[in-house]
Amino acid sequence: MTYLLPHILNGLTLGLLFALIALGFTLIVGVMEVINLAHGSLFALGAYFALTVIGGGWFSGTEFGVWWHGLPIEHRYVLALILGPVLAAGAGMLLELCLRPTHGKAPLYGLLLTFGAALVIEEIIRLGWGTGEQNLEVPEVINGPVLIGGFIYSKYKFFAAGFSAASILCVWLFLERTPYGAIIKAGAHDSEMVRALGYDLSRLRLLVFGFGASLSGLAGIVMVPIWGLRPHVGIDVVIPAFLIIVIGGIGSFWGAVVAALMVGLAVGITGAYAGAWATMSMYILLILVIGLRSRGLFGRKSALEN
Amino acid sequence: MISLSDVPSRSAFASVGPMALAGLLLLTAPWWLPAIGLYQYLGTEIAIWLIFALGFNLLFGYAGLHSFGHGAYLGIGAYAFGLWQQNVAVGLWSGLAAAVLAAGIAGAIVGALISHRRGIYYALMTIAFGQVFWFSAMKLHSITGGEDGLLGIPRPPLELGFAAIDMRSNVALFYLAVGLLVVALVVLRRLANSPFGRVLQAIRQNETRARFAGYEVWRFKWAVFVISAMFAGLAGGLFSMAQQSAYPDVMSLHQSGLIVMMVLVGGGLVSFWGPVFGVIFYFVARDVLGGLTETWLLWYGLMFMAMVMLRPEGVAGMLHLATHRLASLRGGTHLAAEKAS
Repeated sequence: MTYLLPHILNGLTLGLLFALIALGFTLIVGVMEVINLAHGSLFALGAYFALTVIGGGWFSGTEFGVWWHGLPIEHRYVLALILGPVLAAGAGMLLELCLRPTHGKAPLYGLLLTFGAALVIEEIIRLGWGTGEQNLEVPEVINGPVLIGGFIYSKYKFFAAGFSAASILCVWLFLERTPYGAIIKAGAHDSEMVRALGYDLSRLRLLVFGFGASLSGLAGIVMVPIWGLRPHVGIDVVIPAFLIIVIGGIGSFWGAVVAALMVGLAVGITGAYAGAWATMSMYILLILVIGLRSRGLFGRKSALEN
Repeated sequence: MISLSDVPSRSAFASVGPMALAGLLLLTAPWWLPAIGLYQYLGTEIAIWLIFALGFNLLFGYAGLHSFGHGAYLGIGAYAFGLWQQNVAVGLWSGLAAAVLAAGIAGAIVGALISHRRGIYYALMTIAFGQVFWFSAMKLHSITGGEDGLLGIPRPPLELGFAAIDMRSNVALFYLAVGLLVVALVVLRRLANSPFGRVLQAIRQNETRARFAGYEVWRFKWAVFVISAMFAGLAGGLFSMAQQSAYPDVMSLHQSGLIVMMVLVGGGLVSFWGPVFGVIFYFVARDVLGGLTETWLLWYGLMFMAMVMLRPEGVAGMLHLATHRLASLRGGTHLAAEKAS
């Protein structure tokens, strides 16, 4: 058990981060009926924006130095946690505007458009921030090892898990306890009815896309110190997100959270015994779950099946 | 928007002029390609990817089944060809047969597991299985050579019974690829215009209706998946012969997405010949744009996005519209009536 414990903790941390990404994804699928293959690229963009805010990549040279780069790392990190998601939301809203001509057509077109967007964003990242692996600087407070009970664990992973859990809670409160959340949920259920009630559907879609993108960007900032930052990190992350919403059931909040934790644990525990095959475990999980329940754990019939 | 079923069916010989021109261009490619600043190998590459894309379009354009993991079967064909040459026997026909068979078997297994799925769940399962194959190719070092792949795959000579033609020159290889492409074209065109092809189109239009019409839909979905996987395997075998290596990169989601992009840009959804435009466009864009800028994929991606937004029926769809407009200008009122909107 002491051998497994760190792997289980790793898995849970990964699962919580995956849940944060998958929630944005599932909101977008629910309201827009678009499988957003660029979701991972928005994740990468959030992280790269944070890199710039903290002081790397674009504007990192002295000529373009920004005044806040003199601030202590704690302040810059908090600034990055705010600005990164905002900029990612901007990029997501731009993508939503591009998606407008595909509304009302087969889901394939939205999927293809976002695949193209993923390619474009990846190339923009290569152009702007370089092709090499980079690292996001984090404050001392959440860096380094921590000793609990009999074993040493990464302080940062505790922070990442806690931060994701808190963010997931906030999303849940937003969806369940605010009128905006009610409209979004209603839009996911029956967008025509929402329009009939007098809400501006195109603005709702824009906001949902922005919100989903900001969640993805936020996850990016928190996750990259664990995963590393490279231009194709978007592809690496959109696949788990995709698998998770299908395992959990498209459009289901708790489905996304439960499936993300399952995937995280599967990856963590496989990692303990056969490190090289860790990523494979999520595909096996998907094939098993979909083989048994074709709409996922909490899925209902959706328009995407036709 | 128009789709394949809205395109009026024509006899195979209606477009003799353009086809003769295309055939002539194809057969003389090794001479004029270098003359316009490209290179001979490009022709071989295009012929190989055309086999892949045309086989894929039977699944994607005709049956409307969106596979996003088809690079896997190309890769399986490539590995099967390489492993056959290295471990069993050096031989062209046996190697290609192994490639087709291996991809077909993989396709048959996956097809059996996914053929009951519909819509986005179908697409998703193809991604998942594609990733499983890609991942296995990366991790099974002892068989596939891991990330480096199989190296030093020989190019066996073409045995015709009475003679053997050496395949080490790129020109000879080009003609082999074109020959196989022509065979593939004939077979695929026969299939597409057969009752089988009509059932596939019925499935694309409305799967439920096709089932109520009495067809066991999943059998057709399975069969077309296997057929397209076999063509992918053939293309893969040729590819590993041309490259003299097989590597997991062609099996990645990225590559599988690119083949979908090529087919869509060309207009595979509206025309049998659509993928031809798409594949040529992609490789010429890669070499011409790639010669101008490092970030050619950025411009290709932006162009693709614009295409999905404005003209999702692709190059072939635009050509159809143009010929219809032209015909109606000439006074063909009956054609104007069936003009696609």
